[in-house]
Amino acid sequence: MLLAAPRFALPETLGEAITALADRPDATVVAGGTEVMPDLLWRTRRAEGFVSLRRVRELRGVTTTDDELVVAAGTPVAALIHVEHRALAAAATSLGTPLVRTEATIGGNVMSALPYRNLLPALLAADAALELTGPGGTRTVPFDGFVTAPGVTAIGPGELLTALRLPRHRGFADYAKVGRRNAQFVATASVAAVAAAGRVRLAFGNAGPTPVRSDAVDAVATALLDGTATPEELRAAVDAAVDPPTDPVASAEYRRHALGVLAVRLVVRAQVDAGLGS
Amino acid sequence: MADVEFELTVDGTTSAVEAGFSESLLTVLRDRLGVRGPKVGCAHGRCGACAVSVTVPGEDAHVLCACLVPAAIVAGCAVSTIASINGPDGELSDVQEAFLAEGAVQCGICTAGFVTAATELLDTNPDPTREEIEGALYGNLCRCTGYGRIVAAVEAAAAGRREATS
Repeated sequence: MLLAAPRFALPETLGEAITALADRPDATVVAGGTEVMPDLLWRTRRAEGFVSLRRVRELRGVTTTDDELVVAAGTPVAALIHVEHRALAAAATSLGTPLVRTEATIGGNVMSALPYRNLLPALLAADAALELTGPGGTRTVPFDGFVTAPGVTAIGPGELLTALRLPRHRGFADYAKVGRRNAQFVATASVAAVAAAGRVRLAFGNAGPTPVRSDAVDAVATALLDGTATPEELRAAVDAAVDPPTDPVASAEYRRHALGVLAVRLVVRAQVDAGLGS
Repeated sequence: MADVEFELTVDGTTSAVEAGFSESLLTVLRDRLGVRGPKVGCAHGRCGACAVSVTVPGEDAHVLCACLVPAAIVAGCAVSTIASINGPDGELSDVQEAFLAEGAVQCGICTAGFVTAATELLDTNPDPTREEIEGALYGNLCRCTGYGRIVAAVEAAAAGRREATS
């Protein structure tokens, strides 16, 4: 342990981190601090203490196996920009600024669990799984269903998100978002797409209280890729699948429209990538 | 309200720090250690006026927003501020000279952050395109210059480095 105080712990190993959290059950887990610090500044969050994962080396880095891309949860977003999975890379590239991406982590983005967080649709479209480690050991759960409400996840008490496992994917994958301006914006609405073996898997951000995907949408998106469905049909399928919020940034109607437009845009990019489009 | 005690090395000088657990690196630098190079702009990671370079043991140095980092998580690390960006006799660096020559400074609150980010860019990519310069400076805001003179200054500094090494 690099530092230990009643309201602060700076572990160096995963074991120390789990013990530190068990000893400080009311503490907020922070990695880079890029979400927690503004929340404290605006007083939208209270913290009774910090357990920081920033100095746990085994929680940083990207490795590959024959069939999986394994991203340790404390890997900074900056390290994802050139990662093999293009949807994750595109979502990372448009997150924050270079000065934020060096400290913001993939695990922090997931545990934040807010509907507009960049990496969530990319992970859902990629069919990612999450590794959760607690005092009782490690379990692996699908990312689909992990976020249960805005800002709320199915993580258990005393558990930490330790790694994200994505099926390896070298083909077309992309992410697109719209916001209120063209610089440093959070997503008013966002879509990620992964195309593999002629099938398209889409996932939507800020399209409901939790990240959204649907087999019905994917069937129409795949048909559009093949030229057997129209863009209008995909927009209608998206409209039926999403339940976006109305808030001071945008109306639900605007988001429905934008989500359909972004979905068509990504499938057209997949067509071009496959040599099918104009 | 001191929750934690640790050491920080700032511009080569190691100091003992007592801070609250959530106190930012920017607050510790400015209010506890009297290091006023990094500026308070937005205080939530948008403007880059507080940009400093931090070396965490085992990692390469990288530039970050000091306002977003709880100071205690970089305990024992080395922090370089704008005060470290100069020649051995304290003269201005090539990037600082270029900012002056190109008129890239008006009110000046953003300048330390821009010079810090631009210096990291040129140290890692000595021949950046205009797009790469704009990308590297995307996290720094300037409300005076309109950015044209700042990008020109970075291009001039890059050209100067290429001339010096050719």
